[in-house]
Amino acid sequence: MSTTNDTLVGRVRSHLGLSTDEEWPAVVRERLFAYAVLVLYVVVVWFPIYYIFITSLKTSGEVLNTPVTFFPHTATIQNYVDIFANRPFATYTMNSLVVAVTTTVICVTLGTISGYTFSRFTFLGNKSLLLSIVGARMIPPIALIVPFFDIMAGLGIYNTQIALILTYTFFNLPFAVWIMKNFFDGVPESLDEQAQIDGCSRWEGFVKVILPMAKPGIAATAILAFIFSWNEFVFALVLTSSEAAQTLPVAVSLFVADDFVDWAHLAAGGMIAALPGILFGLFFQRYIVSGLTQGAVKE
Amino acid sequence: MSDQQTLRRTLDRWFIPLTVVPTALWVLGIIVYPTLRLLWSSLHSRNAVTGDRSFVGLQNFQQILFGGPGLFNPDFLTYTGHTAVYVGCSVTFSFVIGLGVAMLLNKDLAGRGWLRTAVIVPWVLPYVMSGLMWRWMFQPQLGAINGVLYQLGLISDRIAFLSDGTMAMIALIIADVWVFTPFIIIILLAGLQNVPKQLHDAAEVDGAGQIARFWNVTYPFLKPSILVALTIRIVFDIRALDIVWVLTQGGPGKQTEVWASWLYRTAQVFNQPGQGAALGVVVLVTTFAVIAVLYKAFGDSPYQ
Repeated sequence: MSTTNDTLVGRVRSHLGLSTDEEWPAVVRERLFAYAVLVLYVVVVWFPIYYIFITSLKTSGEVLNTPVTFFPHTATIQNYVDIFANRPFATYTMNSLVVAVTTTVICVTLGTISGYTFSRFTFLGNKSLLLSIVGARMIPPIALIVPFFDIMAGLGIYNTQIALILTYTFFNLPFAVWIMKNFFDGVPESLDEQAQIDGCSRWEGFVKVILPMAKPGIAATAILAFIFSWNEFVFALVLTSSEAAQTLPVAVSLFVADDFVDWAHLAAGGMIAALPGILFGLFFQRYIVSGLTQGAVKE
Repeated sequence: MSDQQTLRRTLDRWFIPLTVVPTALWVLGIIVYPTLRLLWSSLHSRNAVTGDRSFVGLQNFQQILFGGPGLFNPDFLTYTGHTAVYVGCSVTFSFVIGLGVAMLLNKDLAGRGWLRTAVIVPWVLPYVMSGLMWRWMFQPQLGAINGVLYQLGLISDRIAFLSDGTMAMIALIIADVWVFTPFIIIILLAGLQNVPKQLHDAAEVDGAGQIARFWNVTYPFLKPSILVALTIRIVFDIRALDIVWVLTQGGPGKQTEVWASWLYRTAQVFNQPGQGAALGVVVLVTTFAVIAVLYKAFGDSPYQ
């Protein structure tokens, strides 16, 4: 053990008021163990992200050099400049944005109003309707690539953003309804009643009183729907064929040619595709967790 | 009564239909109809020349399941085996790791929020990007894994991860575990927070060891979360194409071909929508069978 480590350990020990021969208290040992494992886990998990990130900053020459470097000799944003200049990455990014935002708006709107009604009212077939909407999210999308391809081709909207938007509502809408229903279940019904006593109509009460209470739920639903749509690959691959509608995940996969992969530029494209996920993950983790928990566990 | 009041009354009377019917219609059009189309497509075959579809009964299923010399289609058996290994190993490893990390994160640690954030990120990246990232990690000459092993002097010859069937499957499983463990962590962590602390403390006072406390106190409360986490993990892995397609594309040879990549290849690459749809039905039925079995086996919890 090195001396710095010894003094650090020594300092911690004296801070805890332990004499040299005294054993660490169980709580401390347990926590140190937890920290050690968690930090190791985080380092291992983040290493690939770090590696692809530094790859995106390396020159194409350095990427192809052995031995592999773990700190770029020359960091450059040239790869990022290249993909926007030589490939239609601005268009891909725009396609991804349009598709993800529109899908999110549709799913959050329908999910919120229906989720509220499913939470508050009993009506003919409400249980079985909710059950089938929720069961629908278990249908594997991959199973439906043939019918979706046929339908979009039949409607003449193959290779359009509309085809992707319609398709993405298929797995996001049931999820949105379910999360929102569970969030509204947590909003006390007495608030509805109070609003009506105060002279609000059903709609006014819903919009003015209940919706503000449901903001965290709406945020969670919106963030998850956005991430799911932004990241989607399979349908984007099946339903598009050119930059008219191709989204970033497909664009990134296009760097893989039969016998050659342009890793430096792929890494740059991959980082752009990953950016919203990383930002949402780092700054809105709370909403992702609450949305997933509401959406999954409350069966 | 003013017009406005009448409008308010009418809108209120129609509150339920106005809020539910749009969603119901949407679901009908975008989920129910495509699913029916799937069944229809699976019973039809497309003429490669004219593009006309003709009714062929169960022939597509017969081809996929029983085509070939033996009783079963050998491809079907092989790819089912790959799918079972892929799903089985990925789910098992991510569950074990996820449970461990979730239990550590459930401790009252300073900086827990940061650790949780750091742990979750892989799951919110595009699967394609993650798959390609791991392909880059496993790249024999330029990838980080051989780079680290070689530079540490642990290997003298670089390992050809993706040109060996077994290694390629291991690479797929590692990528899959990397992507989906955060999901398990999130769900189980939420479940762990439902375990009453007093009960835990009481068990500790009574002298119950760590393992006894886990089985008798934690597990009963965690069971619903475990069920959900496992179900969603298994179901999502059966259908998973993204990582497989960009990391190995079912190769080398067809040694990592799973149901999802087989389905995509059949329907899109080989342009046989009938057989692709039949495979889709197989995936669909399997999915719901798995859910039914899991809920039958583990669904009842004394605490639910």
